[in-house]
Amino acid sequence: MARLVLSRLAALAVILLALSAIVFALEAMIPSDPVRAMVGASATKEAVAAKRHELGFDKPLPVQYVRFLGRAATGNLSDSLRTRRPVVTDLGNFLPATLELAGAAAIIAAVLGGLLGIATARGKGTAPRLLMLAGASAPPFLLALALLMLFYSKWHILPSSGRLSSSITPPAGPTGLLVIDGLVHGRFDVVSDALWHLALPAFCLALGPAVALGRTLRSSLQTVLTQDHIRTARAKGLKERTVLLRHALRSALNAPLTMGGLQVGLLLAGVVVIESVFAWPGVGLYTVQSISSTDFPAVAGVTLVLGALYVVINSLVDLAQIVADPRLRAA
Amino acid sequence: MGVAEPVTLGGALPLRRRAIPSLKVGRLEKIGLAVLALTTIGALAAPLLAPYAPTLPVSAGPLLKPSAAHLLGTDDLSRDIASRVLYGIRSSWFSAIAVIASGVLIGGLIGLVAGFKGGWVDTVLMRITDLFLALPGPILAIAIVASLGPSLPHTLLAVGVVWWPWYARIVRGEVRALMVRPHIDAARLARIGRMRLAFRHALPGALPAVLVTASLDVGNLVLTLAGLAFIGLGAPPPAPELGSMVAQGLPYFFGQPWVCLAPAVAIFVLAFAANLAGDGIRDLLRHT
Repeated sequence: MARLVLSRLAALAVILLALSAIVFALEAMIPSDPVRAMVGASATKEAVAAKRHELGFDKPLPVQYVRFLGRAATGNLSDSLRTRRPVVTDLGNFLPATLELAGAAAIIAAVLGGLLGIATARGKGTAPRLLMLAGASAPPFLLALALLMLFYSKWHILPSSGRLSSSITPPAGPTGLLVIDGLVHGRFDVVSDALWHLALPAFCLALGPAVALGRTLRSSLQTVLTQDHIRTARAKGLKERTVLLRHALRSALNAPLTMGGLQVGLLLAGVVVIESVFAWPGVGLYTVQSISSTDFPAVAGVTLVLGALYVVINSLVDLAQIVADPRLRAA
Repeated sequence: MGVAEPVTLGGALPLRRRAIPSLKVGRLEKIGLAVLALTTIGALAAPLLAPYAPTLPVSAGPLLKPSAAHLLGTDDLSRDIASRVLYGIRSSWFSAIAVIASGVLIGGLIGLVAGFKGGWVDTVLMRITDLFLALPGPILAIAIVASLGPSLPHTLLAVGVVWWPWYARIVRGEVRALMVRPHIDAARLARIGRMRLAFRHALPGALPAVLVTASLDVGNLVLTLAGLAFIGLGAPPPAPELGSMVAQGLPYFFGQPWVCLAPAVAIFVLAFAANLAGDGIRDLLRHT
């Protein structure tokens, strides 16, 4: 098994290299000249050339790529053209909000997807299937708008934007995740207010992945339920509930786990849309603002960080499956 | 992202087996197919059907409620929303089909070569495919459009670049399974050319699986493209595009909700019909 783990780690390294190469190539491809953008339009030719030399933009591309890799590995990305700060600093400021949102959404998606899959596994009914299909077809912003209309403007139950009410000062916590920081500091007003703000955006972000998970779990449960060991379990006189939860679920988890890893990509891309609807001060909103001001270094930084996050999570899912399912070790 | 469900069709059965295959398609799926057929006609005929020009202001004024003259009201720049939605559906629908077609072409070709050749060609091509599958497609697409600059061709290119690997995998798998079948041996013994063997004898067997995956994929693609347009990575304004219309209507949401709800609902209907129809096509081909 150690060899298998090592080979997965090697694959992870190759994928991360490819990701960095793509981002580097895109950065080299942008039509606007980053050096010009940095020194300003009125700079003399000499000043531009000097800056170009200083930044290493006059070197051949492969050399530039190696330098880019070195900088990226030490957590040193270029400066944002819009905020004039290092992209890493910006990401440090915005990432906790996104991680909190995406984490909450992932939990909701896992629970909701599991429930959907189990609840619909044995039925052939049209209604749940249609409902899931509708869930898979709803663009996240339509869901967000519909829920805002009900919960915010009609019933005034949930807030429409932001992470905290303006009357509450967030604790200077260790993680930047407001719910966890609030718990650490014993500030339960912060915890409940943060959860209140999280509810709508996290649900909107979670629904698509939840439906995808539910559909996968449903079909893999249906396959497992026709197998012999299930017949044996039923013949022993076990309750259908026990059969489903204890005997079928575990061997049906493989496909949903893979799907879960893949859905992380959808979740991280969905963050961009959801954050801009709910004015959630995270990486997604940062991306949208960077796009509208053609700030490519910022977009490149986001791509690298979110892309690496996605790749690492999928590798972890892969490893978890190898550990959990002995059948995969033979391959 | 649009994760096409991997589809295996129990070997590759020929398309023509049952005389009246439509009997196996449920009523809802038929409705989905009908809606899509109507959409295609409507999209083609949008210039004839749209009551107003999609990018020009009408005289009635901005942010009007839906009425008989303007079925879905007008937007902040006094443009007729119904006409814009109609043109937007046209753009979404044709864009989705274009990306699917490019994914099928690129992926199909790579999968065909890999499956047909086998050996090291297969290994190299499939490693590259796996690499692309391991990367986060939607995030890469965002980066690609952002670097090229927002425009519809760039968006289609970016999504096309990340959309082919599934098709390569599927075609490769089907072709590999077909290559050991007797009809390929028979064709080989008849000394037909390799191109003919690949395209006439191996490729058709992979078609049902590709068709099913593609039809289940259209809905995902409509949503992905709408999401990109929503964050400002579609055709630049004033082009009538559903995703960007929603984003543009957002500031007026609490006062004039129809401005952003109309295009958002149009996307939902389009994706829902596409998903229903995709299920229908899957059932159809599964039962042949």
